[in-house]
Amino acid sequence: MEYLIHLAVMSSIYAILGMSLNLVVGYAGLLSVTHAAFYGVGAYAVGILTVSRGYGFFEATAIGMVCAAAAAWFIGIVSGKFKGDYYALVSFGFNIIVFSIFLNVQSVTRGPLGIPGIPKPELFGTAIRTNAQFLILSIVFALLTYAISQWIVKSSFGRALKGIREDEDALRVFGYDTARYKRIIFMIAAMLAAVAGSLFASYISYIDPSTFSLNESIFILSLVILGGLANVNGSVFGAIVFILLPEILRFVGFPPDIAAQMRQVAYGAILVLLMLYRPQGMFGEYKL
Amino acid sequence: MRLMKTSESYIFPYVDIVPQLIANSVIAGAIYALIALGFNLIYGTTKFFNLAHGAVAACGAYTVFAILKIFALPVNVVVTCVIGAVVAGSIGYGLDKFVYLPLRKRKASNMVLMVASLGAFTAIQAVIAILFTSQFQALESSGGVSGSVEVYGAIITHTQVVIIACGLAIMAVLGLVAKYTLFGKAVSAIKDDEEVARMVGIDTNKIIGRVFFIGSAIAGVAGILIGFDTGIEPTMGMNLLLKGTIASIIGGVGSLYGGFLGAFVLGFAENFGIWKISGEWKDAIAFVVLIIFLLIRPEGIVKK
Repeated sequence: MEYLIHLAVMSSIYAILGMSLNLVVGYAGLLSVTHAAFYGVGAYAVGILTVSRGYGFFEATAIGMVCAAAAAWFIGIVSGKFKGDYYALVSFGFNIIVFSIFLNVQSVTRGPLGIPGIPKPELFGTAIRTNAQFLILSIVFALLTYAISQWIVKSSFGRALKGIREDEDALRVFGYDTARYKRIIFMIAAMLAAVAGSLFASYISYIDPSTFSLNESIFILSLVILGGLANVNGSVFGAIVFILLPEILRFVGFPPDIAAQMRQVAYGAILVLLMLYRPQGMFGEYKL
Repeated sequence: MRLMKTSESYIFPYVDIVPQLIANSVIAGAIYALIALGFNLIYGTTKFFNLAHGAVAACGAYTVFAILKIFALPVNVVVTCVIGAVVAGSIGYGLDKFVYLPLRKRKASNMVLMVASLGAFTAIQAVIAILFTSQFQALESSGGVSGSVEVYGAIITHTQVVIIACGLAIMAVLGLVAKYTLFGKAVSAIKDDEEVARMVGIDTNKIIGRVFFIGSAIAGVAGILIGFDTGIEPTMGMNLLLKGTIASIIGGVGSLYGGFLGAFVLGFAENFGIWKISGEWKDAIAFVVLIIFLLIRPEGIVKK
């Protein structure tokens, strides 16, 4: 049971990451491979502020969201100058730069040693102790993200984003400040990713830079593409499949080390096959 | 991500640091040039970022590792390297044949091609880790290339001399092939306009297939040389790929000489960038250089 709860918590964290990245990749059409950086900003905010500064989980999460939004604002300004595959490449670069900061600014992040002993959240004076309680918290956050995403997608703002994705010049002619739209959605997605990061930090209670590397960004992008671009439900589906997949491989009888690599083979192969046979993903409404 | 260990200056603290930094820059530049040459060759004809290029380089290195260390076959080192390059080339060719060519025929956007190559990269890297474990392993030669030379106070190992020589030689050969052979002319025709090239009777898919073989084989050579210089690990491809990509973009993507030039600019920027700060920042410096170049001179040093 404990094991199933663990998988459910991880699925909901990745569902938050997937839904938020889908806003950028699926709806705004920006192939961003930076998401793990914002995920990391949220995780480090909680790690640093709760362990050594005595902040509560929710305050730290809020600060993490602000930091992620600020980082996304800056990154958005620079990467907003690029399109298509160059945009993807620049976003690669920002992930690596943020990763280097986690790894090398050791006075703040403790570098490769990581931050251990991150406390669980406290709600109305009572600490969330069991994993089952944590599951409720993470599902609440996932539902909030789901609601926010659906609301954005259905709003006039979301429709303008889809317009930008299909034909940016046309929208600019109609007087939309397209660069600003892209920057705002990027910032919103970064804030949601930071929430996922703070949940992860508090749940696992230990973070180190390796969790927030480029590979993680690729992993999140893969689950978004698998679930389907421009489909919020699809990202939830993608997250669940990608979290359960390695567990199935483990049950089949591979040792954990091989199973971890098999997971990579599987999601690499899934990406190739999707591009070959179904470039919009399972439930996607937009093709790259 | 592990960084390439080219800074001998930590091992030899008494050496005046500037000549050593220059030497390290040139060595790094030569490696990046090899990756960038293959990458540019492929980009020039297909116009998409082939991210699997780094994993293909790792395949070359691991082929050599398998022959020399695991099976310990009594094969000459040079012959082994040629086999490694051919294996890398074949994998590149296979990727084109079974993944990129069907996508191109379907007129897929270059974003789709790029994501497919990202998938191929992830899968190949993990397969290597399953076959050979994910540990860092040494690939030092079993004879011939060892020892070092001193140039103006900079210490360069013999392997590194071979790296620099290979970089220059392959660049020269490619330059000659591009200029004087029918194949080179066909490649440059496809570079300019694939449709027109096909109209005048060039079998473009066949030529692109060969370009994938050659470009990937060169990447394989780079992987093997890195293996002899520092060692191998399954994730080595990521670092090589990123540096090769940056080098070709700052040099002028798709341009043969541009990639070569960009590689050395990057090598110098990285190695002089970490003069006063920790070597762990190398990757970040590389991307800062890339972003600055993209903002100021997006077409690269060599304008097309």
